[in-house]
Order: sequence, then C-alpha cells, then structure tokens
Amino acid sequence: MRLSFKWKLGQWRFDPLRFGPWTWSQWKWEPAKRLVYFGLLRCASLLVPGDRRAEWSREWRGELWHVRQACAPAGCSGWKGELEVTQFCLGAFQDALCLRRAGGQPGQAPASVEGTARQCILILVAILAASDGIALLLPGVRAELSLWPRKVNPNLVLIQSQGSNYNSLPSIYPGQFRSWKARKQKYFDGFAFYRVKQESIELGPAAGARQGRYGWNVAHSSSNLFTLLGLPVRFSETDDSTGGDLPEVILGEASWKRQFGADPRIAGLVMHLGTRTVRIAGVVPDGSLGLPGRVDAWLLEPDAVMGSGAPGYVIAHLTAMGQAEMWAPCVGITANGPDEAEDDLLGVSLEEWRPAPGTLYGFALFLALLALPAITSVSLGETSVNPQKTSWSVRLLRWSFLSAKIALLLPIVYFVSLDLAYGFTRFGREQAVYIQLISTFLMSLFGLRWVLKDQRQRCPVCMRLVAHPAHVGQASRTFLDWNGTEMMCMGGHTLLHVPSLPTSWFSSQRWLYLDTSWGFLFAEPTRPVL
Amino acid sequence: MAREPRTSETKLSHTAALILQALDAGFVYGFSIMEMTGLPSGTVYPAMRRLERDELIRSQWEKQSIADAEQRPARKYYRLTAAGKATLEASRRRYPLLERLIPNEEARTV
Repeated sequence: MRLSFKWKLGQWRFDPLRFGPWTWSQWKWEPAKRLVYFGLLRCASLLVPGDRRAEWSREWRGELWHVRQACAPAGCSGWKGELEVTQFCLGAFQDALCLRRAGGQPGQAPASVEGTARQCILILVAILAASDGIALLLPGVRAELSLWPRKVNPNLVLIQSQGSNYNSLPSIYPGQFRSWKARKQKYFDGFAFYRVKQESIELGPAAGARQGRYGWNVAHSSSNLFTLLGLPVRFSETDDSTGGDLPEVILGEASWKRQFGADPRIAGLVMHLGTRTVRIAGVVPDGSLGLPGRVDAWLLEPDAVMGSGAPGYVIAHLTAMGQAEMWAPCVGITANGPDEAEDDLLGVSLEEWRPAPGTLYGFALFLALLALPAITSVSLGETSVNPQKTSWSVRLLRWSFLSAKIALLLPIVYFVSLDLAYGFTRFGREQAVYIQLISTFLMSLFGLRWVLKDQRQRCPVCMRLVAHPAHVGQASRTFLDWNGTEMMCMGGHTLLHVPSLPTSWFSSQRWLYLDTSWGFLFAEPTRPVL
Repeated sequence: MAREPRTSETKLSHTAALILQALDAGFVYGFSIMEMTGLPSGTVYPAMRRLERDELIRSQWEKQSIADAEQRPARKYYRLTAAGKATLEASRRRYPLLERLIPNEEARTV
C-alpha cells in the first residue's frame, strides 16, 4: 500500500517532510523520525541569535529535505541512511555555535559568574536540595526520622537467671513471671514477659507484591510490654473498625523495612501467623531497645495465654527503693518462685546510651571542630596593608558570605550522613550509628577546611576566587628569599601572596590592594559580585 | 562597523579553499558541497558562514515558485564574489591539487 500526500498551493504552510510518496511501513515511523530530526534542529536553533534564527532554520530544514532524499529516499527503510541524516542534523549545532560566536557583541556578553560568591552559594544550595531530596526519598532515612523517640523508659531492668551469665539466653519461665506479678513487690512495680519463637507468616493478597510465606522470629509478649518500655507504637490505626477482634502484632523496624518497604500505611493489614490470623497494629523501633533476642514482630497476648512452656525474658520497672539498690549496671536479685524456693537472678539495667541522629551529628561536629586546627589554619588570611580601607558594607558582606557557606554546609553534612547511614537497609542500626558518626566527622572536618580555604582565596573586595597562580622562587633552594605563589583577582582589585615556607617575616598570606591604574587590564566589573 | 573584506592575498584554510573550489565548480548549496567534498555538515556550514562574513561568497534564496513547482523546499544558493574568485585563484596557486580534486566540468546543473 502506498500513500501519497499532495500539497495544495496556498492552502497549507509548506512542510518539507510531507513530500514524497512513502510506503505504510515508512509512514508509521515517520512521526518519530520527524520528531528526532526537527527536535535536533529546533534545539540547535536555540543557540542561534534571535534575529537570524528564522532564516537559519529555513535553510537547515530545506537542506534536511535534500539530505533525506539522498540518504533515505522513499522505498528504503535502512537505518544507515537515517543515521546519516541524524549526523547531518547534529552538524547544525556546530553551525549554530559558529553563528552565536560571530553574532555576539562584546558589550552584550553576559557577565561571567565563574568563581563568584553567587556561584558558590548556588552550588551549595543545589547540593543541599539534592541531599535533602534523597533523604526524603529513601525509606530508611524517612523511617529513622519518623520513629523517634527511641529511648526506653528509665529504671528498667532485664531479669534473667544468674546462671545465664549475661549470655542473653531466655531463662525465666512464665510460671515465675506470673508468681512475681501476682505478689506485691517492694523493688518492682511492673513486669512484662516475652519469649521468641520461629514461626511462619503468610501475607495474603491484600499485601500486593509482598504476598507470600516467610519465616520470622516472633516474640510472644505481655500486652503491657510497650507501655512498660515507654515506646510509642508508630503508624497505629486510629480506626479500630477493621479486624478489631483479631490478635495484634507489632512489627519490628527491620522487618517493616525489609518486608514492607517501610510503608507507613501498614496498620490494619491482616496476615497469618502460624495457624492464627493476626492484624498488624503498628511498628516499633528496634536496635535501641537493648532487649535480647532478634525479633521480627511482637505478638501481644494476655498473660494467661502464655501457658507454661519455654522460658523467656522478663522486663521489670524499678520502684524508688529498687532504684536505690541498683548501684551497678548489673546486680544480683533473690526472688521466691511459685514453689516458694529462692532463685538467684540477675537484674541488668536496660538504660543504655542510644544516641539519636541529631545527638550523633552534634557530637561528630564538635569533634570535627576540635580537630580542624590540626589540618588547616583557622585564620581567614585578612592580613594586609590596605591603603583604601575596605568599607564596612563589604566587610559585612564578606562575613555574611562565610556564615552562609557554613550554614549551608552543616545541613548538607547532616542529610548526606543520614543518606549514607540509613539509606541502605542492609545495614543494621548499630552499624548505621557508626557510619553516621564517621561520615559526619569526616564531612564536617573537610567541609569546614574547604570553607576556610575558599574564604582565604576570595578577593576581599569582590569576593571572587583569585586565579592564575604564579609560582615565585624555589622554596628548596632560596630559603632566605621570598618564595611562594601569587594569584590575582580577575576584577583587578587585589593580588594574593601565599608563602611556600612560612617565615618569621612572612608567615601567612597577604593581600596587595591594586589601585585604579590597574583597571585597564581587567574587563570585569569592579563592584562586589554576590 | 562593516568588516574588511579579505583580499586575494588572504590565506585560506584547506577546507575553505575546497569549499570555494566546489562553489566555483557549480556545487552551489550546502548539501551538494558536502557530497562533493566529503566534509561533514558541522564543517561545511560554519565554513560557509565565515566565507560569507568575509564577503568571499554571497547567498541568495531561490524563488519560491520554482521550489513550489518541484514540490520541495526552497534552497539557499551560494556563489563566489569577485573577491572570492580572486582568493580562489590565490588558493589554487597555494594548493595546486585543488583543481584536480574538484574539476569544473563536474558541475551540476541547478
């Protein structure tokens, strides 16, 4: 089948690519090809000065028609020909650039922003926006920021058998727990019990792509466990209308991220846990609890359901009297069991320093500030003899610029460290804490070093980076002579002398202010550029 | 301020000389010069802009009625100016093989 398109004079605007008979197979690709060719020419035309663009486009479009006739004529559908046409179109960019260079007037050239304070601030803002955007996109970082506070209530102890010797093995039987809870206690005013079992869970069709069967460590715990710990359950449902009578399971943070992609709309999802149907009631942060046993989910059960099976762990809250007796992180406890026999137990404090990201960040920043003088001079290198005395407004602008750089650097360091530490779900929280600490320290240290170095190399008048370094002298040979590097401000305001070997008479960099007679050498404006 | 036209003593690059020779041989629009010289579009068109700027060649759109009659877009034709011809003569002396590369008898009718 052949299609031909006739052009009616005076009715349609001329369109070169409408001409010529094409087969149907050619025609179906035609819109895409037209889009590519005309798109390339259109992009190139944007480089051409406006007053010459129309004629330039007309010539290239006309030539394109001839090129297509020669390289990809009607009836041929080879990609080689199309490639030649594409190469032809790419040449339009060189032609457009040539016209642009030829058409530009010296007075109309846009002022260069290279090395200006404005460029520096814009780059920092862009990095900040990118790091913040990444932090918002990464589920791990979002979860970390949304799950605070993580610290458990104070005055909590983990009770375990003395024979377990800190090895975190479950050692308390449900019967013991129930008998302690039933009696009036002098040292404790709250108990909670849990034990961990390997169970299979099955997510139904409501879970979408996460549907399937998995093996989890499920902690069967007292219903008051999280109240005792003082941990808020996040993303819990406010509406209990759906599946309110089902047992509730609370996901651990790691399994929530791993299995559910840190989805905040997780509450209310029904799943099968062993032979039971349960409802997800929320998510709790893990890692910071300091509780033994690796737990993927917590199944809240009444104490009566615990039975008398395998041993588990008991968490207890100390009374004021108990706190007075808790003189060490771990103390011995003697308790009467259900059969009135005395059991020797250990009470291990759950209070452990688990820093929040903000605390870690502040600590690492403090360390970086302490270490900064070891790797760079903290001087801003303002030492100079200035016959024209820089105005206070310029000095204020210079200090504002320094403050702005630091103010932008600090959040960049914070967000990038969060991205590195919590962006990858394969890292546990313990590892993430170290990653955040180290990355914050290094980025703060070298970031502040860059801020100071950058500030030292900016002209005090226009705040543009000095350029064109010229080495003077040989430091290794002429020790007593001056040697160093000279750089100049492209605005013609200053020369910067930086000694290679600091001496008693030339220990730090110096600015030499140039008078107006130097102005004819420089085309740049002489006012401050920000 | 108008730019000073080049004189016949002006030394041209080999590419520019080749393009002038092609024009003189009758290849009078961009694509035909590309085909004849084997140079890519990114070289030919910018070179022609420079030659036109230096007043060695002059461009002219063909009449729209001719293009309409042949159902194709109008072309922009280029031709040598007097200065261009003089410069080409000088270039031929500098590049003796130029004339052999594109002899005048290969000219196409346009």
